Amino acid sequence: MEIAVCVKPVPDPETRLRPGPDQRTLDVEGVKFVLAGYDESAVEQALLLRDQLPGSTVRALAYGPAPRTPEVLRSCLALGCDSVTHLEASAPVDDPMAVAAALAHVLASRPADLVLVGKQALDDEEGLVAPALGALLERPSFSSVTDLRWNPERSRFTFQRSTDTEIERWEAPVPLVIGLQQAWNDPRTAKLPNILKARRQPIDTVPAATIEAAVAGRNGRSLPLKFELPAPRAGARMIDYSTPAEAAERLVRLLREEAKVFP
Amino acid sequence: MTPGLVVIGELRDGRPTEASREAAGVAYQLAAGAPVTGLLFGSPEDSLTSSWARDGISEVCFLPPPTDAARQAGALIPGVLSVLSERSAELVLLPSTTFGRELAGGLAARWDAGAATGVTAIHRGAAGWEVRRPVFGGRATETRSLSGPRAVVALRPRAFPAPEPRDLPGASTQRSMPEVGAVAKGPTLVGTEPVLTGEGPALGDATIVVAGGRGVRSADQFHLIEELAAALDAAVGASRAVTDAGWRPTSLQVGQTGRTVTPQLYIAVGISGAIQHIVGMIGSRVIVAINSDASAPIFKVADYGIVGDLFQIVPALLAEIRRVRGR
Ligand SMILES: Cc1cc2nc3c(=O)[nH]c(=O)nc-3n(C[C@H](O)[C@H](O)[C@H](O)COP(=O)(O)OP(=O)(O)OC[C@H]3O[C@@H](n4cnc5c(N)ncnc54)[C@H](O)[C@@H]3O)c2cc1C
Ligand SMILES: Nc1ncnc2c1ncn2[C@@H]1O[C@H](COP(=O)(O)O)[C@@H](O)[C@H]1O
Repeated sequence: MEIAVCVKPVPDPETRLRPGPDQRTLDVEGVKFVLAGYDESAVEQALLLRDQLPGSTVRALAYGPAPRTPEVLRSCLALGCDSVTHLEASAPVDDPMAVAAALAHVLASRPADLVLVGKQALDDEEGLVAPALGALLERPSFSSVTDLRWNPERSRFTFQRSTDTEIERWEAPVPLVIGLQQAWNDPRTAKLPNILKARRQPIDTVPAATIEAAVAGRNGRSLPLKFELPAPRAGARMIDYSTPAEAAERLVRLLREEAKVFP
Repeated sequence: MTPGLVVIGELRDGRPTEASREAAGVAYQLAAGAPVTGLLFGSPEDSLTSSWARDGISEVCFLPPPTDAARQAGALIPGVLSVLSERSAELVLLPSTTFGRELAGGLAARWDAGAATGVTAIHRGAAGWEVRRPVFGGRATETRSLSGPRAVVALRPRAFPAPEPRDLPGASTQRSMPEVGAVAKGPTLVGTEPVLTGEGPALGDATIVVAGGRGVRSADQFHLIEELAAALDAAVGASRAVTDAGWRPTSLQVGQTGRTVTPQLYIAVGISGAIQHIVGMIGSRVIVAINSDASAPIFKVADYGIVGDLFQIVPALLAEIRRVRGR
């Protein structure tokens, strides 16, 4: 089985957030970009499936500028992905619909049986790429998926999808696009020899011009205008009290009269 | 020309959900008097949509309800596209729920639209629709411009007020649209189970969330949290310490590896406030923390804090809430 896993280079989760000089996006000066969040779990899931299905290959794809994008792809190689494809970009990509169009273009010329995507990216949290890819590749797609497993007897995947009110259990053959929301697998970490080996492994590239031509026809665009931090919370107003009943009475009064959030 | 505005709603027990009503209210304001089309998957006979009309929907169109095999948003897109083109729609609003986000991504791809999810504010800007949305787990906010002739915007539940019922002229008309497109063959729904949220509202949907942590000490004592939630008509949440210990199901977990919630009020009881928990609730409007340790990090993000033993404070709080609410 050919498994493709789409990964987005995202700021290290420990990054101190602040607006960049133009105030439009995050200040990326000195920020380390990494494979993180749901994408890290998606890579782990892809590798686990490959172990279970002899003869399978795992290919990681990422769309974005150098050096952050090839760096993250190298970490995918170090984790054990068989090949990686860099969709080159001359500037940071921050429109998820353009990302989906670019990935769909590349996946159309070399289809995968299973396309794994994070349910949402750690930074922008749009959750648009998985369903958009499904629509563009004309394949069934599911987001918020957990517990993805291959059932060899039935040659199908089984998985769960959680909506706000229900957990659905599904069974589906390939081809399939899955937006993973995985919380159960503790992703492996790359071993040093593999990290060193990954430095010498080839990275397939699709030139920026090819990608730009493929997505140029799109009309709908999403463009960041402003990046802001919330006003710092002043710290909790601590409630003085001498008895629990007094604490309760004061809190309820504040919630009703000041915060106005009491039902 | 006024933009064609379409709201796609979700039905629960035959009624538009709260989040769908909020979307209708936003659409009504953006339309500034122009008609707003509402779109539901269901049948007029089985649905009670009068509240939606009062929220600002001028006409409700029904597409056939998704069959089990069509619980994928992708299967619904051809029908939605037919309504959008008939209405010369420019903007689609829908709730940013699991269903809404799946539909938003697929629809925007096929409709060649700009898209954004989890949106907490929207207005018409110079170059298109401008939307605000929390990013990085609520640690920052971005403003985006959606340019181009069409946009799909998924609105974060509870970020907009429930619309005031309006006395709108003309009863809404209802009609069923023909079925368009075929359902992709292959995936089959094997079964469903309700997300265990107890009695109250769904976690992602609730105006108030009461969450308990390891400080609650045991599965048995966790019912204190549930009682407090019930008294406030709130949803129950939990820290990972609680779900890992198996005191309550993982579906209640709030945080980095659980759910992100953005209620009006979040009450954290016996939760220390680890960063992995914080990122799941920092977008809440008002945060209350109850913890016996005055130096617990949760107090750094809380608006109101009570330092004390939860086994004393929560019963007192329960009594006071019942007294004030008269039940
Ligand atoms: C990769 C990763 C992902 C994670 N994802 C999540 C996640 O999604 N959600 C999540 O919640 N955590 C997550 N965690 C775990 C997180 O780091 C914390 O361990 C967890 O949130 C702690 O839960 P807690 O606050 O309930 O427990 P503790 O940290 O043990 O805190 C218990 C609190 O209760 C207070 N207390 C004790 N007794 C009383 C009393 N009688 N009255 C009042 N207060 C009392 C204590 O003072 C203490 O502050 C994750 C961790 C990792 C490494
Ligand atoms: N630039 C990118 N390159 C490759 N995959 C991406 C990129 N951006 C997003 N994705 C994938 O799409 C998922 C959802 O992203 P988003 O829709 O932006 O929240 C991510 O978890 C990735 O799997």
